[in-house]
Amino acid sequence: MTGLRTPPDTGPATPAGDDFAEPEAAAAIARKPGVRLGLMGWLRWGWRQLTSMRTALILLFLLAAGSIPGSLLPQEGSNPAAVSQYYTSHPVLAKVFGGLSLFNVFGAPWFAAIYLLLFASLLGCVLPRTLRLVGSARQPPPKAPRYLTKLPFSASYAAAAEPEAALQAAAALLFGKRFRVRTGPGWVSAEKGYLREVGNLLFHLALLGCLVSIGLGGLFGYKADRLLVTGTSFDNTITALDEFHPGRMVSPGDLQPFTVSLDRFSASYVTSGPLLGQPASFNAAIRYSDRPGGRTRPFSLSVNHPLVVDGVRVFLIGHGYAPTFRITDGAGRVVFSGADPFIPVETSGLTSEGAIKVPDAQPQQLGFIGVFLPTAVDAGGQLESRFPAPLNPVVSLVSYAGNLGMNSGPSQSVYTLDTSGLHRLPIAPRPLSVGQSMKLPNGLGTLTYTGYQQWVSLQITYDPGQLPALVSGIAVLAGLLLSFFVRRRRVFVRAEATESGETAVEVGGLTRSDAAGGFEDEFSSLVADISGQAATE
Amino acid sequence: MFRLPSTARRAVAGAAVAAALALGAAACGGGATAQDTAVGNGSSFVSGSYGTTQYQPGSRPRAPKVTGTTLTGSRFSLSADRGSVVIMNFWGSWCTPCRAEAPVLAQLARTFSAPAVRFIGVDIRDDPASAEAFMRNFRIGYPSLNDPNDAVALDFSGTVPPAGIPTTLVIDRSGKVAARIIGPVSYNGLKALIKQVSAERT
Repeated sequence: MTGLRTPPDTGPATPAGDDFAEPEAAAAIARKPGVRLGLMGWLRWGWRQLTSMRTALILLFLLAAGSIPGSLLPQEGSNPAAVSQYYTSHPVLAKVFGGLSLFNVFGAPWFAAIYLLLFASLLGCVLPRTLRLVGSARQPPPKAPRYLTKLPFSASYAAAAEPEAALQAAAALLFGKRFRVRTGPGWVSAEKGYLREVGNLLFHLALLGCLVSIGLGGLFGYKADRLLVTGTSFDNTITALDEFHPGRMVSPGDLQPFTVSLDRFSASYVTSGPLLGQPASFNAAIRYSDRPGGRTRPFSLSVNHPLVVDGVRVFLIGHGYAPTFRITDGAGRVVFSGADPFIPVETSGLTSEGAIKVPDAQPQQLGFIGVFLPTAVDAGGQLESRFPAPLNPVVSLVSYAGNLGMNSGPSQSVYTLDTSGLHRLPIAPRPLSVGQSMKLPNGLGTLTYTGYQQWVSLQITYDPGQLPALVSGIAVLAGLLLSFFVRRRRVFVRAEATESGETAVEVGGLTRSDAAGGFEDEFSSLVADISGQAATE
Repeated sequence: MFRLPSTARRAVAGAAVAAALALGAAACGGGATAQDTAVGNGSSFVSGSYGTTQYQPGSRPRAPKVTGTTLTGSRFSLSADRGSVVIMNFWGSWCTPCRAEAPVLAQLARTFSAPAVRFIGVDIRDDPASAEAFMRNFRIGYPSLNDPNDAVALDFSGTVPPAGIPTTLVIDRSGKVAARIIGPVSYNGLKALIKQVSAERT
């Protein structure tokens, strides 16, 4: 953002320098102290303040500062449960925070005000500049000043040729060196380095492009998460997603209708040395099709190697285990049979926790809180997992019966059990190995630990602004470089017949002082060329 | 529409990137190792904002072709129910609001009888054992499609995509969607809708 406004040029005051002066400088001069401002004046003053670099920086800072509570406090959008919990544990503070929209920072009016102002500020800065730059890039060279010797670079010599011929030769030479040339009575004016203005223009337009790209992504993009167990598949539709964060203009029907199924997940881990248990590689063998009923293609999904389907990127962002259970209730009916994803709570052994809920068990609803240990090792009477691969997959469960709270009330997390309506069953948690069963007391049923599956968590992102943002970003850099390295420079030639019959030729040169040196050499070689050419004729 | 402000989040992300650039900070995206992830906030599904959308007879979207296998293993085709008012309910045994509305649907399915009104469930992201236990428990008398992948929801994505679960669709006798209810249905609300659509002449 520092490059938003190039620093005002403090070029040498020159007779021809008025169009070299920055427009901002002119605007600043126009506002004299002591003059009463009318309504329009105040509006103009406000607009100028808003679009100033300083304001943009302050707004940018406010935006960054304003998003801090969004990461410190639970947010309604991403974690409504934690927000309601905050209300219970800090009722007074939560009311204050809630009143300030601190639980919904990114939807808060004050936050919207900041980023809308920032957007207006950037737009108000960039657009008028862009227009001015277009004008500047199309400008012909100015008339030659009267006294060229007053310019920072100048030379004069006497030539034998007639003034007209000398001027013509100089003009032709400068034109040949790709100067923009303008001639008048007794003078030639030439200018080069318009690419600088093109670069400037490119920079500003690309900056607008960046803003628009970010807006595009925000309006039409979305981000979603889905946990997928091996052997299952999902269609990219809202009901199939665990989390969904759409842009403002995304409606449920806009989701690209692809299908992904997970055939196999494999992970390898370092088996020795200090990095024991560290992941070495992950790979998810998936099949996908870009539309329902379409041809399915295999794909190997790994970390930082996303699947791109229909413009949507699907990233592998996590994995874990889903132990499988078969549970029969007191009536002897199978009331649960399948995989139940557990969430890793540590990385070195992938110890995972989860909850099993059996709301339709008879005579009582059943619930279990479980720990899954991929490589269970007895560490002094306490089981712990020593390695993330499933070498000795053991599950240990605490059993509950009663009311799961699922037949009414708010939605629940599937990974935790609300034990407020449950009573713990008098059965000691015993580690189960694959195939082992646990009989619940009071004839409430039986649970069998039948095995495990692996799951992956996928992040699905669609950002239509991504490519435009990249292109704009590159263009910003290119424009910046052009405007840094190309100098605008002017060369003027005047020729006059003198009383002695010779022709006095004056050459003057002018460049922006901020650009690196080197014009001196160019100027002297130009003078040599011009005088040499004039001499040869 | 959802009210999740990701626009703002993106704006922030953009601004943050810009700020990082301004400070000359090299923002390198740390290679995301797979275990670092949490699995969202733990709510296992997306709940839509509640509400009923009704479509006037002239402007009703045509329901897509829906075929599938029910939990009991028989074939189902929505087009075979043309001529009946069809109540299609997306549910899962694990979904709290679905459990809350289940007695209402079971009762209404007994009040209105086939062939005038038919009920069909779409059981999503469920294991069949749990689903069958659910149907026994709530004495659901109508069949349900087994749809672990949300394929039926996807079929509707071009017309009236279920924006969360539960979602209930009322499909008129000519196979067009007359209403969509997102969130648990109320006994009186759905009953009135069914009566209204049943009374229409087609």
